[in-house]
Amino acid sequence: MVLVLALGDLHIPHRAADLPAKFKSMLVPGKIQHIICTGNLCIKEVHDYLKTLCPDLHITRGEYDEETRYPETKTLTIGQFKLGLCHGHQVIPWGDLDSLAMLQRQLDVDILITGHTHQFTAYKHEGGVVINPGSATGAYSGMTYDVNPSFVLMDIDGLRVVVYVYELIDGEVKVDKIDFKKTTTSHSAH
Amino acid sequence: MVKKRVPDWLNSSMWSSKPAPSDDHYNLRYSAITTATATTTSPTSSTSPAEDHSVDPPVPVPPQPIIKDPPEPQRIQESRVDNGANDQNGNSGLPSADDISRQAQLMAELSRKMIDIRELRKIACQGIPDGSGIRSTVWKLLLGYLPLDRGLWSSELAKKRSQYKHFKEDLLMNPSEITRRMYSSTSCDTDESRCESKGLLSRSEIPQGEHPLSLGKTSVWNQFFQDSEIIEQIDRDVKRTHPDMHFFSGDSQLAKSNREALKSILIIFAKLNPGLRYVQGMNEILAPLFYVFKNDPDEINVAFAEADTFFCFVELLSGLRDNFCQQLDNSVVGIRSTITRLSQLLREHDEELWRHLEVTTKVNPQFYAFRWITLLLTQEFNFADSIHIWDTLLSDPEGPQETLLRVCCAMLILIRRRLLAGDFTSNLKLLQNYPSTNISHLLYVANKLRVQSI
Repeated sequence: MVLVLALGDLHIPHRAADLPAKFKSMLVPGKIQHIICTGNLCIKEVHDYLKTLCPDLHITRGEYDEETRYPETKTLTIGQFKLGLCHGHQVIPWGDLDSLAMLQRQLDVDILITGHTHQFTAYKHEGGVVINPGSATGAYSGMTYDVNPSFVLMDIDGLRVVVYVYELIDGEVKVDKIDFKKTTTSHSAH
Repeated sequence: MVKKRVPDWLNSSMWSSKPAPSDDHYNLRYSAITTATATTTSPTSSTSPAEDHSVDPPVPVPPQPIIKDPPEPQRIQESRVDNGANDQNGNSGLPSADDISRQAQLMAELSRKMIDIRELRKIACQGIPDGSGIRSTVWKLLLGYLPLDRGLWSSELAKKRSQYKHFKEDLLMNPSEITRRMYSSTSCDTDESRCESKGLLSRSEIPQGEHPLSLGKTSVWNQFFQDSEIIEQIDRDVKRTHPDMHFFSGDSQLAKSNREALKSILIIFAKLNPGLRYVQGMNEILAPLFYVFKNDPDEINVAFAEADTFFCFVELLSGLRDNFCQQLDNSVVGIRSTITRLSQLLREHDEELWRHLEVTTKVNPQFYAFRWITLLLTQEFNFADSIHIWDTLLSDPEGPQETLLRVCCAMLILIRRRLLAGDFTSNLKLLQNYPSTNISHLLYVANKLRVQSI
């Protein structure tokens, strides 16, 4: 039972001052085992804050990040799942699911997490699942109107993942979930 | 204030504690519970302490490396009548005649249809022979786990064991599984039907607002995270239990599974007792119980040792709860007052020692007695010895707490020479690392204290 927090595109301080208070009150240290961040934090203070939530932090570089040394892509294995991470501005057309599927096959991962569009999506294809946690602060985006702050918490338990989607709609936190299983006869990546 | 004279029998050299010549013969032979006074006790049921110090004839005693004093106490001398029958030197491991007889008595008692608990207590109080393999059953009877009617044993055991299994299933589940069960009970599992090869994944509602970051009081997740602190504490303590014993520590499969069992028992206990939860030290009280039950010769009992231990642990702890509850520390039933009672007991029996300890050298009994009392002496003696002490503690009709006080008092009296000669530092050091001693001796003295205090 591993809890993995996925979030990104905070754009602090340029487009947002801070995470919404309701999100902050829920994110307390000690509950989450890993944090994966798609990028565009943008400053070190946000990095430090995320580190206090959980020491195991993985970040990839977004185009506005002030820290230049984050990698472009990252892969990690948690439990039975391979996760891939990328900000997403490198994959054009931005947010195009087929192109992202290509990236996923390249990285050879079961779950790919990308951002940049500031819009939550969860998409399944033969190669695996692509999840976009959206923007945790609801920062402005040129591509998406009416951005709602959102992030994703994944509960990885054996071959099952339960993806909890946290969204701030009209000042209230709404939580949904998505269930999926990894089939052992995997979609082999060629 | 009249200074109470130290009773003569206390001044006997018998009470100077020497390390037992060979630790491996626990010939638990000491006088029968029935007043060891002038009557010469019958050969079958009583003998004298094995490591007998200087006793003058009528009985020839093999030379022991101690000062020979003329024995003052008439009573003691008379009760030590039939030494001759027992071979005292180097009788390591072979059960003595008395052990065998006691074992026979216990077996006879156990094989009756309706067990007389008082009779059982009387026999068990003298000690349960090690090799007999009946200790586990006797303890279960003494703790009230097994009913007195033999015919009911199998049904009771089955009931309790299945109850424990349910506890485990309910309380040791992690929240992922709990929510999965909640979810699958409300809607049928449509995982199989949702295997479209491409497309947006559908979002579904969460059952009853349960999500991992929930801060609600009734949330399964929230409770899980709150419990995880206690679970960590239990885990740490279990790892530190008896690090010198292969049964508990090390990387062998056996040790790991034993530790897991201890953990489960303590976690379930903590969850079922939100008032008391887990307090450091409970693991030490649990360890001997589990060890004894796991070493039962009966295979089935071994398999269910965890369940049996849980219930016996609950029973044992029910009498000792007050020692662990912090709020009760200063109350009439709390640990402080128990320590005070020990102090009073010592004062009654040996005023000189009491005065020297508490007034002159200012050794506050809390410094040493706290651990003695709360952990039922498991930390003061080696494991085997403490199991023998527990035989007496559990079987005494007065109850473990009362008996414990007498044993502690006896412990103090046995080393009185050294204590009287020492100052604060040396006394404290001595009491916190109690020297190894002959257990049957110790229990004999403790028993005598009962007789005296009436």
